[in-house]
Amino acid sequence: MKKLNITNGMLVAMIVNMIYVKAIGVTQGVLARQIGQDMWIATLLGTLQGIGILYITHLAMRRTPDLDMIALGDRLLGKGFGTVVALLIFLFFLAAIGPVMITFVYHLQDYFLPEAPLSLFIVCALLVGALGCFYGLEVIARLALIGCAFIFLLNVLIVIGSFEEFDIRNLLPVLEQGLPRTLAASLHFDVDCALASMMAALVLPMLKSPQKEGGKVGMLGIATSGLMVIIWSILEGAVLSAEVTSRYTISCMKLARNAHIGEFLQRYEMIMIALYSISALFQVMFCLYGVSVCTARILRLKSIRPVILPCCLMLGTLGYWIVKDHFRAIVYLERYWPWVALPIGFGLPLVMLGLRLLMGRRLKGEAAAQR
Amino acid sequence: MNRLAAAAKAVLERKIAPGLADNEAAIDEVMGNCADLLKRSFLLGGDRRVPGLLVCLDGMADLGTVEAILKELLPFAEGSLKRFPDDSEVEALPNFYLSSASTHTCETVGEAIAAVISGNAVLLFEGYGSGLIANARGWKERNVEEPSTENNLRGPRDGFSESIRTNTALVRRRIRDPMLRFAAMTVGTRTQTSINIAYIGDLVKEGLVDEVKRRLGRIRIDSVLESGYIEELIEDAPLSPFNTAQSTERPDKVASALLEGRVAIFVDNTPHVLIVPTFFWQFMQAPDDYYNRYWVGTFYRFVRYIAFMISLLLPSIYVMLVSFHQEMIPTSLALTIASGREIIPFPVLLEALIMEFAFELMREAGLRMPKPIGQAVSIVGSLIIGQAAVQAGLVSPFMVIVVAMTGISSFAIPGYTSSLAIRLLRFPLLIASGLFGLLGFATMAFALLLHVLSIHSFGEPYLAPASPYRPSDQRDMLLRVPIWMMDLRPEFAQDRERMEGSQMPKAPKEGQR
Amino acid sequence: MSEADAIVRWGKLLLAAGVLLLGSSCVGVRQINELAIVTAVGLDVGKKPNTVRLSAQIIRPADARGQTGAPSGGTGEPIYSVETEGASIFDAIRNLGRFSSRRVYWAHNFLIVMHEDYARQGIQDMVDFFTRNHELRMNTWVAVTPDSPAELISTITGLEVVPGEAVDSLFRSNHVAGLAPGSNMRNLEESFLSVSTEPILAKLMLRPRGISNKKPEEQGSLEQVELGGAAVFKEGKMLGWLTPMESRALLMFREKLASGIETLPCPGDQDRRLTMEFKDARMDVDPGYSKGDIHYRIRVKMDASIVESGCAKSIASIREEAEALLAAQVKKRIERVVERAQREYRSDFLKLGEVFRNSYPVEWRGMSGHWSEVFSEAETKVEVSVRVNSAVLKAEGTGVR
Repeated sequence: MKKLNITNGMLVAMIVNMIYVKAIGVTQGVLARQIGQDMWIATLLGTLQGIGILYITHLAMRRTPDLDMIALGDRLLGKGFGTVVALLIFLFFLAAIGPVMITFVYHLQDYFLPEAPLSLFIVCALLVGALGCFYGLEVIARLALIGCAFIFLLNVLIVIGSFEEFDIRNLLPVLEQGLPRTLAASLHFDVDCALASMMAALVLPMLKSPQKEGGKVGMLGIATSGLMVIIWSILEGAVLSAEVTSRYTISCMKLARNAHIGEFLQRYEMIMIALYSISALFQVMFCLYGVSVCTARILRLKSIRPVILPCCLMLGTLGYWIVKDHFRAIVYLERYWPWVALPIGFGLPLVMLGLRLLMGRRLKGEAAAQR
Repeated sequence: MNRLAAAAKAVLERKIAPGLADNEAAIDEVMGNCADLLKRSFLLGGDRRVPGLLVCLDGMADLGTVEAILKELLPFAEGSLKRFPDDSEVEALPNFYLSSASTHTCETVGEAIAAVISGNAVLLFEGYGSGLIANARGWKERNVEEPSTENNLRGPRDGFSESIRTNTALVRRRIRDPMLRFAAMTVGTRTQTSINIAYIGDLVKEGLVDEVKRRLGRIRIDSVLESGYIEELIEDAPLSPFNTAQSTERPDKVASALLEGRVAIFVDNTPHVLIVPTFFWQFMQAPDDYYNRYWVGTFYRFVRYIAFMISLLLPSIYVMLVSFHQEMIPTSLALTIASGREIIPFPVLLEALIMEFAFELMREAGLRMPKPIGQAVSIVGSLIIGQAAVQAGLVSPFMVIVVAMTGISSFAIPGYTSSLAIRLLRFPLLIASGLFGLLGFATMAFALLLHVLSIHSFGEPYLAPASPYRPSDQRDMLLRVPIWMMDLRPEFAQDRERMEGSQMPKAPKEGQR
Repeated sequence: MSEADAIVRWGKLLLAAGVLLLGSSCVGVRQINELAIVTAVGLDVGKKPNTVRLSAQIIRPADARGQTGAPSGGTGEPIYSVETEGASIFDAIRNLGRFSSRRVYWAHNFLIVMHEDYARQGIQDMVDFFTRNHELRMNTWVAVTPDSPAELISTITGLEVVPGEAVDSLFRSNHVAGLAPGSNMRNLEESFLSVSTEPILAKLMLRPRGISNKKPEEQGSLEQVELGGAAVFKEGKMLGWLTPMESRALLMFREKLASGIETLPCPGDQDRRLTMEFKDARMDVDPGYSKGDIHYRIRVKMDASIVESGCAKSIASIREEAEALLAAQVKKRIERVVERAQREYRSDFLKLGEVFRNSYPVEWRGMSGHWSEVFSEAETKVEVSVRVNSAVLKAEGTGVR
């Protein structure tokens, strides 16, 4: 089979899509509830930490450029460990469907179609997700490029639309709550970066030259997404003020509703959501992809196609259960999800790096033996 | 295989017999008593008076040429042969006596008949076990005219016609490069349609020609009446509404595609030539873009992209806004729309579907009607649909504007065949957004996007160079940069350098003249 | 060809899903012509205790737009005004559905106007309702009126067909007169939620300003909506009014008002009038803090031009005096509004707390809980400097020499 190839630009785009969707709205709301107008600082700090973790992921996988993290697990401690790694990543993406669906459904349902049944949103999202998985990673990656262009357009629109109301005084005073609390809050942005690090764990080997550029590309991806997101956190702070931001589940929609161009175009949040939905659906798609890949690996299948449908059902049920109740969704988002995301998203690369350093010789020996 | 076909096949494989009568009988047996079959027997000049037979098809062979051949062979003509070269074979005949430009011999009845069918004259002689094929092809063909589906203001006016030779010559006249190759193939067991694969040897994407040949060779079909047959049989995405092989009537388009390292497939009897690999963006590009100044070219390219968006999205967006998301319409506009819709009996979705259908109906009727009536139909149709429907309160004036805009926009897309795909795709989008509002719209648009991203055309991603992103190819996608900046061919071409860099013209400085 | 088979299989699956989706029918479809589009809302206290009286101005598009080429449904009044009562705003709106033949639609609402009495009872639930609902737009204007809101929202002006649209344009061109805050839902919510700043709303009232064309001799017989003045709030309840002139000074604090006019007596001649228009007014508020005392230094710089002069002397000769007079006038106005905020209402609607918080975040934390008391004790010092630099079209030198 021809080796799948993903260009560096595509990986950057995938990371941006993966982080952006949740980070601009849901995460900013959580941040504003914790540290008020300093949410942009927390985002910045989170970005730096994200860059770090992506570099660690890269370090862990650098020596074995053609293996993803599951295969690396196989190589390090035998098949059993590989299955454990696959199971962990599986759990991660399974849990990730919560926040992902929360973002997608609440944007569309609460603001545009309150009368439509919830199941419709889940079914639609998973349908296109399944379609994307069926087409394969290359198509998903190409989609990310388009999504990235749309994200850029969206940022331009929101800056144009809310520039008039920009009030720098709302961002002051800086670091009112002190650095430690801000750092603690930045963990919520790290949760989003964890999505990117797990994605990299699966996707990095498909780059053209992962050993040389993988780390650089990954870090560039996080930095770009950080930049894209910070625009929103600054605007939300300055235009809406932290008090207002903290009141809303989806605070980016609040900002989008406020935006207007001139006096004629009073509301254009629908254009923004149309642009945004590409990335939102991309996220759903990648969650489905991650879960399917891990399932296929655990079951030792060659292709992921047979498991897509069962995975859809699994994700759909879980997503439906979480999203159904707004209160449950918020609790899940703020309490439970970080406890899944951070240990796996940040811990797994660290563990793998440690193991690789310990077992480095064995790896090299095996590689030599294979040659 | 029925009995008739089996018998004919046996005859076709037969060698040409020395006896002239046998051969004539064989031809009669295969072709029957065909009305356009012309058999002229004669006695060869000179002392031996060898009986001969000339066979050709009336209408396929040029009778003037046939007469000239006969004139050279018949005894009374001046300078005709005095003595038949008895010791030599038929091949020698042209060396001495025939002035025909291209001749060769044939050994079997099948070959002889194939030659006759394609318009040549076959000469058979008593006592010789082979025939002589003399080129006498000549039939009525259309002149080279301006292409009717692809118009432009500036640029060459010639278009392909139905004759494959004329068509290849039109391209050859543009590219006088020895590396320009035409590989010949024949497809269609009954139609025996000749197909030429054109490419420039040192530019074409590696392996592309072999791939094209492989796919063409795979075709088992009795007839090829138009290049559309070929297109559907060699496509990468046979289920997709998008066409992954571009077809054009313009020789300059073909020439420019060849120069970019692509392959053109000429099919006999059709003015539409296929170009592969094809990218989605090509359908948005017109030759005018390159012939006019680049500012103009870029501007009109933008106009076309907007036209594309309108023709695909406008009806769905309108329906979605008016039946679900009224808060997004600016207030004064919302009031105007609402006042226009006050007494309309249909829901917006139905209204849109009716109007879209009416529009397609008019378009189709205008196309199929005999030309003089066509005009009347379009006038009456637009009057009825436009004015009367609004007056009667069946359709809102806004919907008429939306549908008209959509229609006009779809005509602004240069690739006519792909604008058909867009017309089709409009309907699923329209229905999805009319039923589920933004959710339906987003999901359907997303699925469409996924689909377009997933298809390839001869190994090249359909949406390249946008996704996968190819920076150096961006110069000729959204924008049309000046000619002096387009110094590279697309990424898949073998030799990427099109011209030496930095050829931006400069006026000589004052005093340096 | 397993590939093609797979594609066909998936296609069938998608088709089946599509049919299923179609079967679940249209969700939430409502045609635009089936909506009762509300363009203005009035809120008042109900007749029974603890009830809300809500009046809505619903537009009739066909009549508001007139003939648009299509035959439209009848010709009559462009608006349809209705009134309901309910225990809460939401309840009142639902009660509207009892007699409105079309679904009441709020997204295009221009204006929310509250009666004074309603505002004095508290606007907590009103702010919450109008920001919680997804249909509502955030730049709806919000105002308070001493007159009947129901009457106000159905008063037809001479120029616009729809009263809501008329008030909307009134608010938009607000900065020309500069006599009332441009309060919309967005900034109301922001200051309502803010710890430091108190909200302020514009005042709308009915005044007999229009002249009837049929009976021109009855001057001012037609009532028109007038925008001027402001309502002061504290802790979600209205406290009282500010006059239009006080509102102008207020705008300098809150909306960076840069221009306005002032009419002054001519220097040295009390009977004649001199009108000046100031431009490019810039206000700087510098907070200071020493040993628990907060003090503010408010500096205003502005350029002014003479737009109407009845003075006997040439402008050039009275330029300095005019500058001083205008400065004194502006200073008086600013001091007046600060005085009312601190002493009378004890409500920080001037955003002074936010200024202080930005400069002294640590000190702020200690006093954010009782800011209104601290604020009313703060010292303020106002400095105004004016420069008259233009006499518009006329060359006002020293006259013919």
